[in-house]
This record gives sequence, structure tokens and C-alpha cells, in this order.
Amino acid sequence: MRRPLRTQAPLFLALCAFTAVTLVPVVWAVLTSFKRPVDAFAVPPEFIFPPTFAFHYEVWVEKGFWRYLINSAIVSTSVVVISVSIGTMAAYGLSRLRSKTARGVLFGILSMRMFPQILLAIPFFVLAKMTGLINTYPALIFALIAINQPFTIWLMRSFFLDVPHELYEAAEIDGCSAWQVFTRVALPVVRPGVGVTALFSLLLAYNEFLLSLVLTGPDTKTLPVALAEYGAEDINYWTLSAAAAVGIMLPMVIFMMFMQRHLVRGLAFGAVKG
Amino acid sequence: MFLVPSAIVLLAVMVFPLGYAIYLSLFNYDIGAGIFRFIGLDNYATLLNEQEFWDSLWRTVVIVASAVTLEFVTGLLVAYGLYRLTFGVKALNTLMFMPSIITPVVAALFLRWIFIGRWGLLSGLLISWGIFPPDFLGDPDWARVTVILADAWQFTPFMILVLYAGLNTVDQSQIEAAQVDGAGPWMLLFRIMVPAIRPLILFVLAIRVMDAFRFFDQIYVLTAGGPGNATETVTIYTYQLAFRLLQIGKASALGVITLLITAAAIAGIIATLYRRERGAF
Repeated sequence: MRRPLRTQAPLFLALCAFTAVTLVPVVWAVLTSFKRPVDAFAVPPEFIFPPTFAFHYEVWVEKGFWRYLINSAIVSTSVVVISVSIGTMAAYGLSRLRSKTARGVLFGILSMRMFPQILLAIPFFVLAKMTGLINTYPALIFALIAINQPFTIWLMRSFFLDVPHELYEAAEIDGCSAWQVFTRVALPVVRPGVGVTALFSLLLAYNEFLLSLVLTGPDTKTLPVALAEYGAEDINYWTLSAAAAVGIMLPMVIFMMFMQRHLVRGLAFGAVKG
Repeated sequence: MFLVPSAIVLLAVMVFPLGYAIYLSLFNYDIGAGIFRFIGLDNYATLLNEQEFWDSLWRTVVIVASAVTLEFVTGLLVAYGLYRLTFGVKALNTLMFMPSIITPVVAALFLRWIFIGRWGLLSGLLISWGIFPPDFLGDPDWARVTVILADAWQFTPFMILVLYAGLNTVDQSQIEAAQVDGAGPWMLLFRIMVPAIRPLILFVLAIRVMDAFRFFDQIYVLTAGGPGNATETVTIYTYQLAFRLLQIGKASALGVITLLITAAAIAGIIATLYRRERGAF
């Protein structure tokens, strides 16, 4: 079909404008993070100013945000390892069930994904308080697995469904046990899928806020919690928290570049808010 | 056999806490004062008779409905624009997608710096153009608008992406047939394409409604439910009850009520989806 330039050009410009407006908050935050306070508080807003890296250094090194980065890394990695390994098994199991039961289980899991997280935060908080697990990694890791698991199962299942059944049947005829069919046949085929699921799972754990806010303490604070405490309170810390926020965002931007092709599938199953 | 580990974990970290929350909701449990007394369904009765509960529920409905409508309309238009565009689609898509993967807390701060009074980008620009800006986060009505815009900022890209993917699945021959009959671009969108992807639209709306309904991070950082309680959604109210006032029992009851509302909504949506089209997932 011929698409004349006459309609294409305005369309392109309109979409560019939309994109530009969308990106304003990001650009503005990045600019702010390189500003001295005197430039940050200038009215009218300044777009050209002498840039400084001092605040990036100050917040990550001197103010100890690197510790929260380590906390985030420990928690997210543990969540991904546990959640993806058991989730992959469950997804495989479900993909091989072709019955009403599978559908029932899947909808059960889907409704868990829709679960109001605050209702999970309260019992976790009380239990963690009673067992002294508040301000430890395990409490938060368990809670995040609860959120992660339904998403992992749904996404992994969609990869397993792409595997032709003949492969399994052939393996079974060759005398593979159920476990061997899973590890020798199914897993190698869906390996890229496992990678994609793990990365989305990581995104979910890294971004999570409510449960982290409730279950962490001074020693285990993750990045979003630290940032929320730091950035929202005092406007004087503006440039510092901008530097922190931009730093937290950076891995996500890199993530997106890698994951672009898989975004639709991952997001449809709730990678962004799970 | 493959389901066992996952089932055990889900029982331990999901079903058991849920059961415990329901159990707690039957108690007058105040961690601060150390009270723990069985009161049956009194927490539920209190909540249902309380103006603040109904107010927060109504506010949530208004915020969710406005945000999701805005996201859907914008999302559909932009997705259709991308669909009709013949070049640069990938680059645009990547760029406009950025907000939706940013950590919600970070996103909320970004937007805070746009909307905050005096020093925010928007106020600053308006002042320098000689317009006296409203206090976007301090005025109750504007705060609600800001919260809605914030949700839309972060989640419209999700709509765009899913709807764009959906539009690309529409049968090409149907489109060409309509074009031969002289259908313009708008007619094409609303008569052919939207009906063709209706299951997907329902699915994505359902997901957005659910997520927006329980969304916490952005509002917490942007306004913390204020000013006063202008942006206090059900989730924020539950949080305040549990972790500020330490009324664990009442907060659990409110959580259970939220769960019931959500469950009813999901059941309705799934029923609709499955009646219209099998295998929409």
C-alpha cells in the first residue's frame, strides 16, 4: 500500500512530539542530577549550566547508597534464582497437562497475580515481627517470591507451549524418564525463555516497593526504599536524590535495550507491576 | 510432580499469609497498644459504616477510571499512529516505552520534580511566562489530577505496546477489503480494527484496572495520600491503618474487603472474556 509523504510527515512529527513530552521528566531529572543546588532551584528553570558529577559521587559513595545497591542485588538475585527454578518446573508441569485442571490452576495463579499486595504486606509484617525476621533478607525474599511466582509461571508456560509435543513423545519412546524429558529435552529448547523470564523477574524484584518498605530496616533497605525516604522528604536534597534516582534508573534502561524484542510477552504477563 | 515445589512455596508464602490475614481481621489487634482481642466481624462492620472507607473507595474508583480511560484513549491513538507510520517505528517505540520500566518510586520522584510547587519544571516555566501556577501537589483537586497523570505517564506505554502488537495481528485482507469500499483511516480503526482486537482490549483493560486499583508506590511518593486525604486510595488508607496507626486487625479487614472487590471484578472480566472469545490468553 502506498503511504504518501503528505500524511506520513505530520504523523511522524506528532508521534515525535508525544515521545518528547513523555521523555521530559526523565531528561529533566538527568539534568537536575548534574546541577549544583543553585542551578536546580533557579526560576525560570535552567537548561544550560556548568555540569557537576559531585552529587553522583556524594550520594553513591559518601552517603552509602552503594550499600542499598548491594541489598537490592542480594534480594533480587535470590528471588530470581528460587522463583524461576521452581516456577519453570511448575510451568512445564502445567504445559503438559491438557485439561480443565490446568486451566483452573492457571486462573488460580492469575488471580494471585492480581492479589492486593497490601494484604500480603500486613501478615508478612506481623509474622516477621513475631519471628524477629524484620530487617533480614529472608523475610523480604519470601515475600517477593510470593509476588514473583505467578508471573514466572505464566510467562514460562507461554514458552513451554511453543515446544512441539512430538519432541516429548519421541523422548519418551526413547525411554527417558519424566525428569529426563524435562531436563534433557524441554529445558534446552526453552533456554532463551528462561533467560527472558529471569530478567523480567529481576526487574519485578528490583522495582518492588511496598513489601520492601514494610519488611526492611536500616541494614536491608533496598534502593527504592532508600530513595523514597531520602528524596521525598527534603527538597534540599534535590540534586542528591536526583543523582540517586538516575543511578537507579540506569540498569533499567540497559535492560530495556536487551529485552526490546520480548517486551510484549513479558509485559502482558505483568512484568512491570506484578 | 513438577508442580510440587511451586505449590509448597505458594502455600507457604501466599495462601498461609492470606489465611493469617483473614484470621487477624477478626481481632482488635493494635500492635502499638499491645491489644489482641477477638471481636468477630466487628472490624468489617466498623469499616462498612465508616465514611472514610467509602470516601477512599470512591476516590480510588475515580482515579482508576480516569487514569485507565486516559491511558486507553492515548494508547489506542498512538498505537494506531505507529501502525500507520512506515518508518522510524522501532526507535520511537523504544523511546516512548522508557517510562514503563522505570522503578515506580523513581518515576514518582521524576514527576514530583516536574509538578512540585515553585521549583518544579512546570511551575517554573509557568512563572517565567507570567502565569501564576496552581499548587499541583498541594491543592486537593490538582493533586488528584497529578496522580492520574502520573499513573498515565508510567503506564500508557504499556497500553501502546500491547495495542500496537494487537493491531498488527488484524487480518490484512479485511483491512484491504474495507479500503476498497472506501473506508477512511478513522472508519478503519473503529469499524474494523477495534472490533477485531476486542478480546485483547478487554484483557489489557482488565490488567490495568486491577493494577491501578492496588497501586501504591507512586501515590505514596507523590502525595502520600494528601493533601489532607485528597488522594487517599483504599490501598493508601490500608497502609496508614496498618503501619501508621498500627491497627493491624482493622487494616487486615480492609485488605480482605479489597480482595473481595478485586476478585469480583476479575471474575466478571474473565466471564466476559470467555463468553466473547475462547483462548484470549
